[in-house]
Amino acid sequence: MRNALRIFFVGGYISYRALFGFLSLWIFIPTLVLTPIFQILLFAYIGRAAGGHSDQFYVVGNAIQYSSVPCLFAMTQTIAEERFWQTLGPLLISPAGRLPLFLGRALPVIANGLVVAAFSLFAGGLILGVTLAGADWARLAPVLLVAAFSCTGLGLVNAAIGLRVRETAVLSNVFVGILLIFSGANVPLSELPGWMADIGRALPLTHGIEAARAVASGHSLASVRGLLGREALIGVAYSVGGFFLIRFFEVQSRRHASLERV
Amino acid sequence: MIRTARLLAFGWVLHFKMLSQSAFDGFLAILWPLFFATVAFFMFRHGSRNAALGPIALGAAVMGVWTATSVSASSALQRERRLGTLELLVAAPTNLALILLPVALATSTIGLYCIVATLLWARILFGIHVPVAHPLPFGLGILGIVFTIGSLGFLMAVAFVRSRRAWAIGAVSEYPVWLICGFLVPISLLPHWVKPISWVLGPTWGMRAIHAGAFGGSAWGDVALCFALGLAYIAFGNLLLGRMIDAARRRATLSLT
Amino acid sequence: MAVIEVSDLRRTYKTTTGIIRRRPLEVEAVRGVTFAVEQGELFGLLGPNGAGKTTTIKMLITLLLPTSGTAHVLGLDVVAQARDLRKRIGYVFGGDRGLYERLSALDNLRYFAELYGVSGKEQRRRIDQVLELVGLKGRERERVEGYSRGMRQRLHIARGILHDPEVVFLDEPTIGVDPVGARELRQTIGDLIAAGKTVLLTTHYMFEADALCNRIAVIAKGQIVGEGTPTELKAGVAEGQVLEIEVFGVDESILGRLRDVPTVTAVSVEELDQKQLLVVQATGEREVAAPLLAQLDGIEVGRVSSREPTLEDAYVALVGDAS
Repeated sequence: MRNALRIFFVGGYISYRALFGFLSLWIFIPTLVLTPIFQILLFAYIGRAAGGHSDQFYVVGNAIQYSSVPCLFAMTQTIAEERFWQTLGPLLISPAGRLPLFLGRALPVIANGLVVAAFSLFAGGLILGVTLAGADWARLAPVLLVAAFSCTGLGLVNAAIGLRVRETAVLSNVFVGILLIFSGANVPLSELPGWMADIGRALPLTHGIEAARAVASGHSLASVRGLLGREALIGVAYSVGGFFLIRFFEVQSRRHASLERV
Repeated sequence: MIRTARLLAFGWVLHFKMLSQSAFDGFLAILWPLFFATVAFFMFRHGSRNAALGPIALGAAVMGVWTATSVSASSALQRERRLGTLELLVAAPTNLALILLPVALATSTIGLYCIVATLLWARILFGIHVPVAHPLPFGLGILGIVFTIGSLGFLMAVAFVRSRRAWAIGAVSEYPVWLICGFLVPISLLPHWVKPISWVLGPTWGMRAIHAGAFGGSAWGDVALCFALGLAYIAFGNLLLGRMIDAARRRATLSLT
Repeated sequence: MAVIEVSDLRRTYKTTTGIIRRRPLEVEAVRGVTFAVEQGELFGLLGPNGAGKTTTIKMLITLLLPTSGTAHVLGLDVVAQARDLRKRIGYVFGGDRGLYERLSALDNLRYFAELYGVSGKEQRRRIDQVLELVGLKGRERERVEGYSRGMRQRLHIARGILHDPEVVFLDEPTIGVDPVGARELRQTIGDLIAAGKTVLLTTHYMFEADALCNRIAVIAKGQIVGEGTPTELKAGVAEGQVLEIEVFGVDESILGRLRDVPTVTAVSVEELDQKQLLVVQATGEREVAAPLLAQLDGIEVGRVSSREPTLEDAYVALVGDAS
């Protein structure tokens, strides 16, 4: 009973931190508001210099790719804090619906990713003169949501590795960088060598970005349901993998009494 | 005079040593720009403009120097604070600027690793060959850009002396400087009002010097301007630092610990 | 002229309180401190945590500007002549921090030697000397991150005296160090005096102040509440007696009753594992055990013993008065 209450209250606090953990305005605004816009501008201009695709192409691609930053970092921080407050162990073995509990942890992270993607799409688009109709936005929202969910799954895997590895910041950045290359954010899969495109299709965000581009150009949601389905499936696969990996490492750490991590 | 030179040199060597051993400040600083370089190479290779990739490789190489510096230098004081050495540095009978400058220069020197790594990456994985038409201006251009970026880092470190969030501000400046200094995107493509900002940033001229040194063209003016701007940043930073330290001692806001 | 002269030194901090609505708050950390230290003295600033020791020392080493009052070290004003003063004083503080972990001890020393203007040839000689003095010779090429707390402290001291300062300020230098290491450190500190330096030491360890210092100033809540040699301070409580009573479970009300017993001047409680130790100070020679035990009626009492007053008792009395 004590454990359940503890999971509930501490969990609530941790979830709050996942949403507003960047509570200091001095970190929040630069990292989640300004940098994605700058990234969009950077690649839009590189695209112009290279004679690549349209501005809209880069706005959509980078807005969604950037949602990986909150999804990865916030999820990793959430799991790290669960361990710090020692609610991770009870959470993993709790008989009461593990799934809803974990979902509760992931929801603020997904919401964070969704808002970051949506906002940077809007703001970046505004600056570059890329405007989307209201109807486009209505169709985009579920796509962004699925993409954020999928990437949060990767965040769980990242969080799991983070339980074992010391330099979590380095690892998270590496994943963000990998997604930058392989997800089609700036280079469509058709322009990548075959093996790279294959890797890209096994990663989150790739299908979501493709779907988002279609929807932003006016296509219906129904036409992209295959892509969305695949994206959702990838999200589930990473989430499940991440969950088991977390459990494995947590059990291992107890066995080896290696809970101390600087 | 000699003492100042020794102090700068020694501080630079020591901090370079420490940064090289750090996974975040060393390894990631080298790896991170490679992601962007890779994307850029693909974009230009498939782009309709059929641009030569040599200049792109050079631009990407220099991006790394800024990456190595932007976060690391602006959070230099934060690092010292965490180590507990900040008090000792302020209590020493030496101008704090002389202590901070080598730290910033060390961070941009890590950028040399980036330049080598990126050029190798471009050559081995993408077959991009970067010629060096005029080695002397090329070399000076590289030194110049390391120097001017270091100086810019010093200025940032000073400006954020009191802030505990300095690293975030350093991080957010990463992409804008890449864009505005013409590393991958010609400045002619940027909006009119951005160009004056480009002109006052030392890295812009360093990039042009390196470009000219590699592909031909006169680089001397660019090299001179690059170094001159670097010196200007140092002078300004020095002035600013003196004022801030005084105010901080009075109001006990230096948060030395 | 005294080496260190402090006159009515004050330091106020402006801070904020509250989480949602921040209200400004002024905290007076140092409230008018006056003392002087002569050449060659080992002077102790003794007091509990938060008493203002560290703030005082930071003002003397020019890291902090006083809000009012004056301080002179070696005849130089700590405010106006800070830069000149810094060359002639050394600063050492306790704890793990304050060194570059990833560098060797030698590199650390070389760096600070540069910062303090110790010239090339002189550098090598000085570094050898200080390493010898603190007993780290032979281990200087190892990285600091592998050092124990005691070794780090010794390296700190080495760093602090590299430039051969005339005055050395030590802020809680033995904090967290094991007893053997601490004893070696104290020996080193004593050697500094033998070398002709003047030392100002802050500490909250009474026995350390007693063992090391020529003179002590007891500071509590930002003010000096007692000053003198250890003997003089002890004399303040010498006419009297100290009783130690082992008890099991006393509370504030009982302590109050004990304090009301005639001739009792101070009662303090030390928490031990399963029990508490009451230390009662009383004036005069009159038998006071019986009235005390009468007040403790109904509570389990263990051993009762009496002893001579020590510096610790003087300290408790002085600090207790301030609060």
